[in-house]
Amino acid sequence: MADVTSSGNADKDDGKPQIDRNALAIAMHRKSRSFGLYFWIPMIWLIIVAVACVFAPLWGLPPADEIDWAYIQSPPVEGHPLGTDNLGRDLLSRIIYGGRVSLTVGFAAPFIGVGLGLILGMIAGYYRGWADEVIGIMIDAWLAIPGLVILLLFSVVFGGSLFMVCLSLGLLFIPTAARITRAATLNYAGREFVLAAKAMGASDFRILRKEVFPNIIWPLIAFVLIDIPIAIVIEGALSFLGLSVKAPTPSWGGIIAEGREVLSTSPHIALYPTLVMFLTVLCFNLVGDAIRRRLADVREGAI
Amino acid sequence: MGEIILDVRNQRTAFATARGMLNAVDGVSFTLERGKTLGVVGESGSGKSVLSRSVMRLLPGNSVVPSDSKVILNGKDLTRLSETELRRLRGPEMAIVFQDPMTSLNPVLSIGKQIMEVLMFHMGMKKGPAKEKAVELLRAVGLPQPDVRVNQYPHQLSGGMRQRVAIAIAIACEPDLLIADEPTTALDVTVQAEILDLLQRMVKERNMAMILITHDMGVVAGRCDEVAVMYAGRIVEKAPVRELFNNTRMPYTAALLSSIPKVTDPPHRKLDAIEGRPPDLINPPQGCPFAPRCKFAGPECEEQVPPLEGPGAHQYACVKPLGEEVAA
Repeated sequence: MADVTSSGNADKDDGKPQIDRNALAIAMHRKSRSFGLYFWIPMIWLIIVAVACVFAPLWGLPPADEIDWAYIQSPPVEGHPLGTDNLGRDLLSRIIYGGRVSLTVGFAAPFIGVGLGLILGMIAGYYRGWADEVIGIMIDAWLAIPGLVILLLFSVVFGGSLFMVCLSLGLLFIPTAARITRAATLNYAGREFVLAAKAMGASDFRILRKEVFPNIIWPLIAFVLIDIPIAIVIEGALSFLGLSVKAPTPSWGGIIAEGREVLSTSPHIALYPTLVMFLTVLCFNLVGDAIRRRLADVREGAI
Repeated sequence: MGEIILDVRNQRTAFATARGMLNAVDGVSFTLERGKTLGVVGESGSGKSVLSRSVMRLLPGNSVVPSDSKVILNGKDLTRLSETELRRLRGPEMAIVFQDPMTSLNPVLSIGKQIMEVLMFHMGMKKGPAKEKAVELLRAVGLPQPDVRVNQYPHQLSGGMRQRVAIAIAIACEPDLLIADEPTTALDVTVQAEILDLLQRMVKERNMAMILITHDMGVVAGRCDEVAVMYAGRIVEKAPVRELFNNTRMPYTAALLSSIPKVTDPPHRKLDAIEGRPPDLINPPQGCPFAPRCKFAGPECEEQVPPLEGPGAHQYACVKPLGEEVAA
């Protein structure tokens, strides 16, 4: 008993000044790990795009489907900073309102996919046995159907609803998300702290939620970051083909498709949405890379 | 005689493997009273850890426990309880401290959260009081600066501190039975004594019963009331700790004791290891499982498995126990 108290004090004497002495080193280390310009410049663009799209009705733009008969297929003029399209609709307004569709799909689809994949993957990786088999077969079967066919099917059956576009794209992300989750869950489900939690009376659900989930969240965040730009590009391709939201609701791919018809006479109609989409996707990738690198640092170093 | 907390009767645990049934624990019986510590000693693969998990009912899916095995904790037969009922007992009635505190704590949750989790689940405490109680527990297990440490993560703690945290989690709900499964094996020698003293203090202060599992005879020597020596899934000798060391009857126990190098030995002396390997538990040898490695074994040793018996508290499973040659 005397042993314990004296050793406790020894720890205390040892611990306290050490933390103070290292404060400077810790601060320098933090700085060296902060995000650089490659993160902040694309981040600023993304914030601009996001704010512009989310608060679109506040900017006093003409409605995206309002036709200005005075300016049809016009280059940038006063009142139409990016010009108008071949029906005389304000291009800036269409790009901003179109961004709402693109960004919604870009965020919703990966989250739907990862959300469902997470549930399936955790069940398969934690319970193993027949649950694992069944989910594995389901995923293999799902992968055997070409993604484009699923997208076409959804757009034909449910035609043009934004939610269905998000859902159909999200479904395509399930197999990868489920496999990543399953592998990560397998890795952690056998760890001793899971057994320790069980020994303290934790239920399976509690173990999955409190012990496994916080450990496997990092690869899934990285996966979502990769999928956001992919979803934006696929949505663009779908609306270019006319399989996404129905006209006159604008979307980036849709505006590009409309601009393609008059590419030789008014290239700006296709150019601006293409440029915005290109920059946005590029910035998402750069930001995603920076965050993923940071996550890797965090996982190696601290947590 | 104190109140009997744990009564294990004829516990058998086998694992179905590709080669056949592996009998990891083969008919172990013992009782444990409140406030007492039972040391379980044996080499690797002798079934110590499987025994601890059998008591906790934390066995993997391929394990087989026959229906005549009974684990009675506070009058409740754990073998008859459902998983949900067991869950309610784990924590408030029985808890376990694992060998390696590096792996038995969740790396991504603060230690405070891990303690609070248990308190909130079993004791129905709210967040605020649970945190206060967590700090109090950390103080009780001798963690310095508990109010700071409570928000830290396992990687910010040393091995000894982590094991203190694991002990704090185990005693959070005041269990009646604490199983310590090689609690000091992964720790520095200097920290070992502290952790063992801490465990012993907790058992005394909170009036628990403890099963201390170890492969180190030195660990059990000063800290247990009774010692059970395990070999090949069986208890081969069981006695009050003094009796066991002073009056060893089973040759295996004697071999374990003499394999400890002594400070007084001359340098470069060959270690007194036990010859051979532990027996294959899928196809155990005929008769006494230790006979093939035993210096004193005779033909009578291979006839049948000797039962664990003996006068009074000192029991041993041996046909030719030590110290009886003279009498015979």
